[in-house]
Amino acid sequence: MKSVKAVAAIVVLLLVAGVASAQNYPTKPVRMIVPFAPGGASDVVARILSPVLGKELGQTILVDNRSGASGNIGVAAAAQAPADGYTILLGNIGTMAINPGLFPKFNVSPVRDFVAVTQVVDVPTALAVHPSVPVKNVKEFIEYAKARPGKLNFGTAGPGSNGRLEMEMFMRAAGIDLVQIPYKGGAGAAAIGLLGGEVHCAFVTLASIMTHVNAGKVKVLAVAAPHRIPTLPDVPYFPEIGYKGMKSGSWQGVYAPKGTPDAIVKKLHAVFVKVMADPGVVKRLQDSGAEVVTSKSPAEFAEFMKEENDKWTKVIKEVGVVME
Amino acid sequence: MDLFHNLIFGFSVALSWQNLFYCFLGCLLGTLIGVLPGIGPLATIAMLMPITFTISPVGALIMLAGIYYGAQYGGSTTSILVNLPGETSSVITCIDGYQMARQGKAGPALAIAAIGSFFAGTVCTLVIALFGPPIAEMALKFASPEYFSLMMMGLIVAAVLAPGDMVKSLAMVFLGLLIGCVGTDVDSGWRRFSFDIIELTDGIGFVVIAIGVFALGEIVSNLGDPEERTVFTSKVGSLFPSKDQVKRSAGPIVRGTVLGAFFGVLPGTGPAIASFSSYMVEKKMAKDPSRFGNGAIEGVAGPEAANNADAQCKFIPMLTLGIPASGTMALMLGALMIHGIAPGPTVMTQRPDLFWGLIVSMWIGNLMLVILNLPLIGLWVSLLKVPYRLLFPAIMTFSCIGIYSLNNSPFELYLTAFFGLLGFLWMKLECSPVPLMLGFVLGPMMEENLRRAMLISRGDPTVFLTRPLSLVFVIITVLILVVMALPVLKKRRGVITG
Repeated sequence: MKSVKAVAAIVVLLLVAGVASAQNYPTKPVRMIVPFAPGGASDVVARILSPVLGKELGQTILVDNRSGASGNIGVAAAAQAPADGYTILLGNIGTMAINPGLFPKFNVSPVRDFVAVTQVVDVPTALAVHPSVPVKNVKEFIEYAKARPGKLNFGTAGPGSNGRLEMEMFMRAAGIDLVQIPYKGGAGAAAIGLLGGEVHCAFVTLASIMTHVNAGKVKVLAVAAPHRIPTLPDVPYFPEIGYKGMKSGSWQGVYAPKGTPDAIVKKLHAVFVKVMADPGVVKRLQDSGAEVVTSKSPAEFAEFMKEENDKWTKVIKEVGVVME
Repeated sequence: MDLFHNLIFGFSVALSWQNLFYCFLGCLLGTLIGVLPGIGPLATIAMLMPITFTISPVGALIMLAGIYYGAQYGGSTTSILVNLPGETSSVITCIDGYQMARQGKAGPALAIAAIGSFFAGTVCTLVIALFGPPIAEMALKFASPEYFSLMMMGLIVAAVLAPGDMVKSLAMVFLGLLIGCVGTDVDSGWRRFSFDIIELTDGIGFVVIAIGVFALGEIVSNLGDPEERTVFTSKVGSLFPSKDQVKRSAGPIVRGTVLGAFFGVLPGTGPAIASFSSYMVEKKMAKDPSRFGNGAIEGVAGPEAANNADAQCKFIPMLTLGIPASGTMALMLGALMIHGIAPGPTVMTQRPDLFWGLIVSMWIGNLMLVILNLPLIGLWVSLLKVPYRLLFPAIMTFSCIGIYSLNNSPFELYLTAFFGLLGFLWMKLECSPVPLMLGFVLGPMMEENLRRAMLISRGDPTVFLTRPLSLVFVIITVLILVVMALPVLKKRRGVITG
């Protein structure tokens, strides 16, 4: 009997503690899982955010790098964490929208197993060509490629990478045929291949090639963004020239495990919106090539993620990429 | 004299008291993380990056750079003392450095490692100052066919020159190549040898194998040897190298510096290749190659110089082209961009304080590291007098913390234990793990470059012969094979006619 009473007492205590935690949240350090290695684009964003976020929440933010398996290891760790607001995930276009299509056997679903909190950044990507390709705009590039079917190469960070899928989407819309040349070592390696002229073109983040654009070593034909980029006022964005679906680059957002109390999700959303408006954060992110984009509400971000999932799953099916 | 003015300007930046302090702090931190296995400069710099937001960009870069090359110094210390490679690049130093320590020559080995690194650091500082931008442009001429031919040359030379049982070392090279195949296939995205274990989809980490095979394997085999269980070595010997040791190290240090600088400039080569090739060259040049593996000081001097030169020259493509040659460099690039500086061809004219200040600070940092490390040698060596029953658990603990901190993954600990067992087994079978490491490092890179070259040439293998640089490497490879084969053929003929 004693033990039953003790158990009951503990259960009651835990329940009370649970309610209390939603009100005073957070009362202990918050762990932010980054599903990529230190130094990657996601990690940089996390490192820029975390000090300001910590100040806002009044708690330390522990950045926990769980890299591996295209980010799936970190995503799985976050999905299995207690849904109490003390574990959040910094997901990106790859882990939250592309991987579900690539890894149908992976048993964690970003849409089903997470609560979307807010988008934080968008890193615009660009269709970049080596200067040896004699074209000045997207139209000329398509004509040039159509005259040489299967002869031009594009660099990617692997068959399931964002840059590959963007190019496949563009190729289908434009009716051209280019050959994929995958690079190990991420998008940086593919950018080096483009710079050295080993490949003719690639979809790369603007940040990785901006200095070479200024030096005339790479030409940017168009950017995947919802508007023109201030630093490249003469370069069109894709929706402007008829490619409606290509309006976002490589985005990142914050998630909490499914079941995290609404009050905590709302608080996290409010805090993140505030953090992302901090002038220091905005400036640092801009300098590193990312634009601050926050969602109006968790529901809006959930909607955006659903759209992105559908879009990429469709491309993956059409191209026939299977990563098993 | 432009260079002179620029260097004076650089000194004026680097010698300001704040920058000196950041340089010292970076070097000290670097030495510490270098000594600890696993925790590398990459993770440290990532964690420290937010702190640098509040200091000047020059100071930030000077400190981060100090961590980076300081780690190369520190990494050799544990390799020599306890066969525990603190950094990827110091695996080679384990081979002869540890043997020297066992013979009571840990002091000279540590001193030569520090001196060699300092020499390489000085030369590379000058190289960056004098030829940085043109060298970086040349490095861009290296595409996949060149990388493949270069690595093939390295692998074949290493296999041919390997001592002892040719069959055994070939078997180890191939095993290394196979282990290198584990992971996701770069072209198709299919998983190879991953057995549905999610942690294996990115392949096996170099540090996991290195710590397992070298450090843990050594501990297990030591425990199996009942004779020498009390202390590591009772005779500590001289702390500083003798005249003869310095004389024998001079050549290897110079050659190692040249090799390291060459590989450092190429963005497509990893951290271990420079020290591997330096070791191979020294072994080839030695009058008595059998000393290698048994405590030859040349095997410490050359690779240590090479590895520091490599680390420092990786700054050339990063600063002058904005191309990161390694993960750590990518992080530095990110740090600079957050400070609003875009490295690239224009950085020298737009931010001369940053460029020249950093270059001069690297030389000052190298000097600091020597001053920091030489007095520490006595302390390190006295560590060897710690009884095994205390030393071994300590090494195990540090190794485990280090491995876990790589990816926060418990699976990698099991994997390290597994490789520890394999290391013990190979020791008993007298199979040297060095060819295995070489195959493991070069294999995946060769495969990637071969497949990329073939994809781009649409399946035409003559691409390796029609590109001049690649052709040079192929010709050298063939020449080496012929030279190595001739004496054997002659002998055979002698046997037949006689």
